[in-house]
Amino acid sequence: MTRESSDPLRVGRAVLASGLTVARQAVPDAARSFAASYIGPAGWAYDPDGAEGLARLVADLAPSAAGRRDRVALARALDELGATLTHRLAPESVEYSVHGPADTFEPLLDLLADVVLRPRLATEDLERVRRQLFERQLREAAQPESRADREVLRTIFPPGHPYRATGLGTRSAVARLTRPQLARFRAGHFTAAGAYLVVTSGRSLTEVVRAIRGRFTGFDREPAPAGPAIPAVRAGGPAPRDIRMPGRAQVEIRIGGASRPRSDPDYPAAFLANEVLGGRPLLSRLFQRVREVHGLAYHASSGLEPMRWGGYWQAQAGTGPERADRATALIRREIARLAREPVGTGELTTIRDSAVGEMPLALETTLGAHELAADVAYHDLPDDWLVNWPRALAAVGPEQLRRAARTWMDPGTAVVVRAGPLGPVAPVHRRQ
Amino acid sequence: MRFVLPNGLTVLLAPEPASPTASVWVWYRVGSKNEWPGVTGASHWVEHMLFQGSPRYGKGEMDRAVISVGGTLNAFTDTDFTAYFSTVPREHLHVPLDIESDRMTRALIAPAEVERERTIIRSEREGNENWPEFRAEEELFHLAYRLHPYRWDPLGYPEDILALTPADLAAYYRRYYGTRNAVLVIAGGFDAARTAADVRRRFGRLPAGGEDPTVRVVEPPGRGERRTTLTGPGTTPFLEMGWRGPAVGDPSAPALLLLDVLLGGETRLFRAGSTWGRSSEHPSARLYRRLVDPGLAIRATTEWRPRVHPGLFGLHAQASRGVSLDRIEATIDAELDRFRRTGPSARELREARTKIARGAALAYEGASRTGFRLGYFEMLGRPGFESDLLRRLFALRSRDLRDAAREIFRPEGRTVVRYEPTEGPGDA
Repeated sequence: MTRESSDPLRVGRAVLASGLTVARQAVPDAARSFAASYIGPAGWAYDPDGAEGLARLVADLAPSAAGRRDRVALARALDELGATLTHRLAPESVEYSVHGPADTFEPLLDLLADVVLRPRLATEDLERVRRQLFERQLREAAQPESRADREVLRTIFPPGHPYRATGLGTRSAVARLTRPQLARFRAGHFTAAGAYLVVTSGRSLTEVVRAIRGRFTGFDREPAPAGPAIPAVRAGGPAPRDIRMPGRAQVEIRIGGASRPRSDPDYPAAFLANEVLGGRPLLSRLFQRVREVHGLAYHASSGLEPMRWGGYWQAQAGTGPERADRATALIRREIARLAREPVGTGELTTIRDSAVGEMPLALETTLGAHELAADVAYHDLPDDWLVNWPRALAAVGPEQLRRAARTWMDPGTAVVVRAGPLGPVAPVHRRQ
Repeated sequence: MRFVLPNGLTVLLAPEPASPTASVWVWYRVGSKNEWPGVTGASHWVEHMLFQGSPRYGKGEMDRAVISVGGTLNAFTDTDFTAYFSTVPREHLHVPLDIESDRMTRALIAPAEVERERTIIRSEREGNENWPEFRAEEELFHLAYRLHPYRWDPLGYPEDILALTPADLAAYYRRYYGTRNAVLVIAGGFDAARTAADVRRRFGRLPAGGEDPTVRVVEPPGRGERRTTLTGPGTTPFLEMGWRGPAVGDPSAPALLLLDVLLGGETRLFRAGSTWGRSSEHPSARLYRRLVDPGLAIRATTEWRPRVHPGLFGLHAQASRGVSLDRIEATIDAELDRFRRTGPSARELREARTKIARGAALAYEGASRTGFRLGYFEMLGRPGFESDLLRRLFALRSRDLRDAAREIFRPEGRTVVRYEPTEGPGDA
């Protein structure tokens, strides 16, 4: 065990005999609530061939009814506690989180343990969740935003790659899924080994471990599931894709490519490179150039998604069809410029100061702090990683940033996908 | 701490000594309710222009000043108000205070910047138009109101976005933006006495201004149901229904909040969790049990959003594949009839009250949320409005809710918009 700390920027950890890693973070001074998350190896990358959508269905179904509570009783229990239970699914993991007033620590941990260890996966709930998933599949295909997001991943990553899908599966695959399949997936992937229980609380690590050990027992003795095979990503992107979606008002533009894992030592430089390009709200180049200077789009930004087995990056904007070509060209120019020219010292300083200075904002609330701790825990970062983050950013110079931009957000392999009310003539894109 | 400066500016201070941040909110009692045909969208566009320069801050310098110290800033426009906010590490509180005092009455609305912003506003609207739910809700209000400015969305009509001139926007800004129409809220880590003195120094010297934003247009009662059908891209059919409801100041407002919880599952004003958004998973709510449980609908929610003027009690239901909107509507009608006859059970009422009381428990965690809530309730009512609302709400009995349902769910006050997707749901 590591030493106790009242500093929410330090994360204490202990590994239980079951293999479950417990991470504890102190609640920020001004906050009055507590939060806990189970993060387990049950993302959609583990969907078996032909059963795409399985991880999503299990993830959505587990919090419907669990332990002694059916879904109405579970919802009532949360209401009485003034608490929330949320979940999110990513390629690599599922995350269930509870958040409530500090005095709900014990009953909320009980509830979280029920959801993780004793979900009912009841037939009537399964059919409802399946219907909702069908509708999400349709929505993903019908909305230019989600369609562009989906297609850019399909264009970047080859078949079989865990980041190629968005986890919703297809109607036919989801329709075939059975309750026993769901139960087997849960048992094999809602494990202790390879999983994390992150708690942001006023209680000490010792107290937290005791509370977890007493509740999170009875995991099937499954080892952590082996990660999927990762096919190589092709060098160089395929031809640009325009997806014509008549009847919509706006074109969604996505330009992106494969990137690197979070464990890469150059992550701080890549983080800053993305912030300069489009990650930092209002100050980034894409926001400034596409929106503020040229008035081409309401939103223009970029994101970097480094995960365990690799990652991807993406620049995005939404604009009217008559402005789509100009906006696309401008975004591509900015991506290329970042990889070509070192960032000016003044620009780098402003972006870095902003990134360092925003830490207090994350510590306004328990949930803001908790998100940081969950990130540290899941990526197995050092306990004091958050404390040292400003120093890591300070060490990044303009040339290091340029190199990171080139390797993490390579304009040479970027693909372009646009979805929306595009004209009948496909625009010509030239690879840079 | 609450005080009013001689120039009419209302100031609310909510110090939280342990907070690492300070959040500054400026709320103006002007929104799309103050527009008229031809200048719809002006409130929202003026909001954009307030980031484009003031005497001490050139274009982009406000953003830079706040974000470079690790802060965040933004703004939003509603029917009844416009709000600007910045949250910064506490030691930088002076930065947003300086910005807000500079742009409250002296924003620069430069013609060239207005023209450049025009395409951005269009793009913002187009992004919303990509969503069938936006199109249907816009149509709902357009149909439900014939005279009152709630008829149009705060984004404005596309034709007005093309036609508004810099002079229109400047005149609108000069007319309504002033100390008398503004409420300054500061929450978080600061010393109240020192900050109050700072506020008096910065804002006290501004001239008194701001034309009375009271809207005197009264929407006549509906004489019959209004309905229409929209078609377009989408997934499965859905409907938006709205019943003419009361204004937030009406004595029946607390009952409407409870109806929202009983029928749809939650009220945005008092919901547990960290966001202002809404969830659609409420298995104990009436409509969920009648529509989602048996598989008729994917989701079924209600929303009564308190407004300064009589607003709509809204209902949204999205059909499951293969279920007709006729069947959805008939089920809704039957459930509302049942509610009108019997009201909620004692258990339902107790649970709804508990949900609201417990949902409010963490509502003020964090400087940003505190600043938001204090300002929001100030825009809707008077000092102490939130606690008064809760007190009255907890005193309501089952028959009060039944009576409120009888009053609001009248066929002649109903508007219905159906949305029928033109693309068949295939295998995605």
